[in-house]
Amino acid sequence: MASISIRNLTKRYGNFTVIPDLNLEIADHEFVVFVGPSGCGKSTLLRIIAGLEPISSGDLYIGDKRVNGVQAARRDIAMVFQDYALYPHMRVYDNMSFALELRGTPKAEIDARVKRAAALLHIEPYLDRKPKELSGGQRQRVAMGRAIVRNPKAFLFDEPLSNLDAKLRGQVRAEIKALSQELKTTMVFVTHDQIEAMTMADRIVVLQSGTIQQYDTPETVYERPANQFVAGFIGSPAMNFFPVEWHEERAVLSQGGTVVPLDGETTGRLSKAGNAVLGIRPEHFAVATDAADGIAINVKLVEPLGSDTLIHFDLASASAIARVDPALRPKVGDRINLRPQPGKTHLFDSASGQVLR
Amino acid sequence: MNDAANTDRWIRWLNTLQLVLAGVVIMAPTVWMVLSSFKPSFEVTAYPPTMIFSPTLENYVALTKTTPFLSYALNSLIVTVGSTALGLLFGIPAAFAVSWTRISWPAILTLAARMAPGTLFLLPWYVMFRQIGMIGSYTALILSHAVITLPIVIWVLLPSFDGIPRSVFEAAQVDGCSVTRILWRIALPLVASGVAVSAILAFVFSWNYFLFALVLSNGDTKTLIAAAFNFIGEGSTQWGALMAAATLIALPPLVLAALVQRWLVSGLTLGAVKG
Repeated sequence: MASISIRNLTKRYGNFTVIPDLNLEIADHEFVVFVGPSGCGKSTLLRIIAGLEPISSGDLYIGDKRVNGVQAARRDIAMVFQDYALYPHMRVYDNMSFALELRGTPKAEIDARVKRAAALLHIEPYLDRKPKELSGGQRQRVAMGRAIVRNPKAFLFDEPLSNLDAKLRGQVRAEIKALSQELKTTMVFVTHDQIEAMTMADRIVVLQSGTIQQYDTPETVYERPANQFVAGFIGSPAMNFFPVEWHEERAVLSQGGTVVPLDGETTGRLSKAGNAVLGIRPEHFAVATDAADGIAINVKLVEPLGSDTLIHFDLASASAIARVDPALRPKVGDRINLRPQPGKTHLFDSASGQVLR
Repeated sequence: MNDAANTDRWIRWLNTLQLVLAGVVIMAPTVWMVLSSFKPSFEVTAYPPTMIFSPTLENYVALTKTTPFLSYALNSLIVTVGSTALGLLFGIPAAFAVSWTRISWPAILTLAARMAPGTLFLLPWYVMFRQIGMIGSYTALILSHAVITLPIVIWVLLPSFDGIPRSVFEAAQVDGCSVTRILWRIALPLVASGVAVSAILAFVFSWNYFLFALVLSNGDTKTLIAAAFNFIGEGSTQWGALMAAATLIALPPLVLAALVQRWLVSGLTLGAVKG
C-alpha cells in the first residue's frame, strides 16, 4: 500500500506532447478515477504509473521511492487490463498464482492466497478451467483475482468494465467498489464512463488533452465543476449550456432575448461579467405553474425512464434536456414553463470556459 | 436469381478445374519419379514413356549395393536435425525480439540472405571453412544450412508472436516477468504449433538443400541429396538408381508433411490468440 505522486510529468511521442506538465497526488488507500474523453491521456498516465510507458520528463513516486526508471516488474503494482490479458494457456489457478510463483512465494502460501481471492470473487468453481472456457464476467473476475493475490502497493484498472454488458457492468462496478473498501489499497481506475467515475471514486481526475481539468470528490466535481468542460462531461444527460447576457438589469438569453429567471447570487455574478455561458443540469429545471416565473418551451421529444421523464426541447438555437417528474406526463408539442432551480445554476466565462464564482 | 446461381456454378467448376490442373502440374513429376524408380533400367528413358511395365526393385537393390546409402541418410539426418535445431535456437528469440521491439530490419535481413542465391555464400564459406580446417565437417554443413533454416523459423513465427495481444505480455511484465521469462513462460507455449510448423518446414528445406553439401562435405559427411548427384555421370546417367534415390530422399519430407498437414495449415495461418 502506497501513495502515488506525479510531479511535473511530461509525456511526448516524438514531437507530439500527450501529457504536458502534470502534477497529481494520490493518497495511500485512496480510490482515484481518471476520466475523460478518448485521447485525453488517461490510459497513457496509467501505463506510466504501471511502468509500461517511459516518462519524457518529470518524476513519479510510488510511496517514497522514485520509480522513473524502474521496470514494471519491480514496481510491485497490479494491473487489470481492458481485455483482461489472461494467459490463455494457463488454468485460472495458474493465472492467479503466476506472479507469486515468480516471487518465490512458498507453495502453501500461494495456494492459500489464490483460494482466498477466489472465494472473495466467487470463482472457486473455475480454478481448473482455461480462460477460453469462461464468460466475459468470469474472466474479468479472474483478472481481478490475479491482481488481488499479489497484495500489491497499488491496483491499476484500465477500463476493465468496457467489454461487459450493461447489467454485468453495474454488478462488477459495485463489486470493485466493495473490494476497494475491503482491501484498503490504493486504486487507480481509468474509464471514459462518467457514471463509473462518479459511483466508484473517492476523488475524480477529469482529464482533457493531458491536462487535469479538476481533481476533487465526485460530489464537488458534480456540484461545483471548475469549468465548462467538466460541467459538460460529468452528469448524464449532460448539462445544458446557453449563452446569456446582462441586458437592461435582467439576465437574458443572448439569442432571442428571452428573460431567464435566475436567483440573486447568479444574477449578481452575471451583472459583473456582462455576458457568460449559463449551465443548467437537466435535473435542475423545475416546472413553473405561472408563465411569468419560467421560460416557455415546446416539448420536442419525450423519454419516459420510469423513475423520471426526459423532455427534449430547443432554446436559443440549442437542443436542451430537462428531467421532470413522470407524473407530469408531457406530450410532444405541449407548451411547458421551465425555470432553473435557485442555487443550482452555473456561470462560465464566455472566452475561457472557467467557472465564474 | 438464376443468373447468380449459374455464375456460382461456373465459379465452382472453374475452381475445381484450377485445382485439378495445379494438382497434375505438381504431382506429375513426383509420379513419374516414383514409377521410374520401379522400372527396369532400359525402360526408364524409353520414349514414349511406358505406363504399363513389370515393376522391379533392381534400382533399389543397386542403390544399396553400390552406395553406402544408410551412411548418407544418417549424414542428411545429422545435418538437417542440427541445422533445424540451430535455426530454432536462434530463430525463436530473434522472431520474438523483432515482434517485441517492432524493429523489422533484422528479419528482412535474414530474408534477404535466404533470397540470395546460395552460390553467393559458397566461395567465402569454402575459403573460410578451409582456413579453419572444417571442410567436410558436420559443423560446417550445419552452420551453412542454418542460413536456410533460420529465416524460415523467424518468418513463420513472426506472425504467431505478433498475433498474441500485447496486453498479455504487459500483464506478465506487471506480474514480475523479465523479457526472457515472458518468451519462455508466456509467448512460447502460445506459439507451440507455429514452432512445430517452422521446425517441419526448416527440416524439409534443409533436407532437400543440395548446393552447400555438394561443396562443403566430403566422402564421410556427404548428404543423400549430394550423393544422388553421383548417379549423373559425364558419359551416362544411371536414371533408374537416381530415381530410386530421389524417391527415398523425398519420402521423409512427404511423410512428415502428410502426418501434420492439418497442423501445417493452421500453423501457417496462425495469428490471433483468443483468450
